Amino acid sequence: MSRNRIAAAIGIVAIFVVVGGLLIYADAGNRRGHNRTLDVTVTGGKTMQPNLIRAYPNDTLTINVTSDTDGEVHLHVYDIQFATKAGQTVSHTFKADKTCTCDIEWESTGTGLGQLLVSP
Amino acid sequence: MIPAAGIFLHGFGQRYDLPISLALYLYAAAGVVVISFVLVVLFAGDQVGARALQYPRRPVRWLTAAARSGWPQRIGGAIGVLALVAVVITGLFGSTNPVYNPSEYLVWIYFWAGLVIFTGLVGNLWSLVNPWAAIYDAMSRVVRLGPAWKLPDVGVWPAAAAYFAFACLELTTGMANRPWLVATLAIAYSTVTLAGMILFGRDEWLEHCEAFTVLFGIVARFGPVEAESEETGRIATVYLRPWGVGLLKPAPTGWDRVAFVILMLSTLAFDGILSTPAWQDFTVALEPVWLPMGALGFFFVRTLGLVLLSVAFLLVFITFMELVVYFGRRSVDLKETVSAFALTLVPIALVYNAAHNYSYLVVQAQGLIPLLNDPLARGWHLWPAVATFKPSFALAQASTVWYAQVVLIVLGHVIAVYLAHLRAGERFRTAQRALLSQYPMLLLMVLYTMTSLWILAQPITRETG
Repeated sequence: MSRNRIAAAIGIVAIFVVVGGLLIYADAGNRRGHNRTLDVTVTGGKTMQPNLIRAYPNDTLTINVTSDTDGEVHLHVYDIQFATKAGQTVSHTFKADKTCTCDIEWESTGTGLGQLLVSP
Repeated sequence: MIPAAGIFLHGFGQRYDLPISLALYLYAAAGVVVISFVLVVLFAGDQVGARALQYPRRPVRWLTAAARSGWPQRIGGAIGVLALVAVVITGLFGSTNPVYNPSEYLVWIYFWAGLVIFTGLVGNLWSLVNPWAAIYDAMSRVVRLGPAWKLPDVGVWPAAAAYFAFACLELTTGMANRPWLVATLAIAYSTVTLAGMILFGRDEWLEHCEAFTVLFGIVARFGPVEAESEETGRIATVYLRPWGVGLLKPAPTGWDRVAFVILMLSTLAFDGILSTPAWQDFTVALEPVWLPMGALGFFFVRTLGLVLLSVAFLLVFITFMELVVYFGRRSVDLKETVSAFALTLVPIALVYNAAHNYSYLVVQAQGLIPLLNDPLARGWHLWPAVATFKPSFALAQASTVWYAQVVLIVLGHVIAVYLAHLRAGERFRTAQRALLSQYPMLLLMVLYTMTSLWILAQPITRETG
């Protein structure tokens, strides 16, 4: 392939890469966080309602976990433990500074309860 | 629903990926189509015949000297053997929780995800770190090891079978996250491999029956390092070449090799598909079949899915290759042509691998660091400084991950289209026939790339509450 053709091909791919970068980062960089409260209920250390909770990056999140069983709910990635007592609500407030599909588990059995989705 | 699916995704541990947004998916998909057609226009009337496969390469004196010295093999072999021993010891005697067991990190992240990608980026690292080759070479210095039997003409079918079995361990058994099993299978595979090398000859066994040697041999063709050997086996010169062009070099042909490349594509795609709602629907639809099987049902439904996907990929590929040959309007050996074109799909598999495992490599891989303080979970303090290490998520923000994924996938697609174009020029001899033959191939590559993007755009989780 001639040099001009290679240069043209590289140029087209480069334009795609730059435009893609601008599209992604221009939007993501401008978002400001909000205060957000999310309530979940854990039953029997096996299920959680709702099983999927959502937030945006940089939100200040308060998660309230109510469980009918004593135990520990573990929010992965943020590595936060909710030490639950039957019938009581445990809260944690933190900044959603990591994007993820973060697993929420019943720690003693490793049972997946649901997920926290932090996404632009 | 399959219980605790999050635990079984991938080899072990959870993924941090987020599905790429619809807007980005559409942008990348449109980009793939537009770039493909622009490339076809640019490539039209380009070189044909043997000239199409010529590529620039530059001899590198220091690499040649290093390769000839034997030190890279010795150091690499020592690292490989050490890693294998670490997998076995920590797998058998370390924590039963995969998150706290180094064997899981070494096998599924550093070896399975990392080494494949780095081999594509750098060159055949496996030929340096292959622990079984290193052990055999060390043994052969002490005792004379000659093959007792001649290996029958089995192509690379045994390696393809072993590769499929390894993919099943990772994706369909749901047991990849059990360190003791990983260690036990490492011992078993080591035993079989060493016995095979002793009985049938080192290179014969490695090149036909050892899954990873065949796998990394194919991936390394993408890499920029090329070594030429003298008749005695001594390395004559080491060259640097552009990425990808090594896939155009003459290679052994056969359906076994085609099947191997298709397996590379299908197993990777299956890993992604497992976390899509489409897969959940498939398993729910088949519940009456697999639920009564008890514990085996999980393995059955996943293995069935993997087999069906692999067969589908193979059939689609062969159908498109029939079209390529038809439009090429030249009598060519189908098996040889299919084998040659199969290698042009390797860039797509490789970049999808990198995109798919991006977060795995930049986040999960860091999980090994604190384990160095206490690799067997016995309360040791071998390296207290790393005990409190927390993984950095700096490179795992969604925007960065998405950008890396889309750019990687489009780049791989472009390289594959370019290589297929050169291959068509070599096979079909005239520019017009080569161009015609390229339309079906281009469509196939757009389809594969779209599939990769579609998988990345699928929601990982589904709301039920």
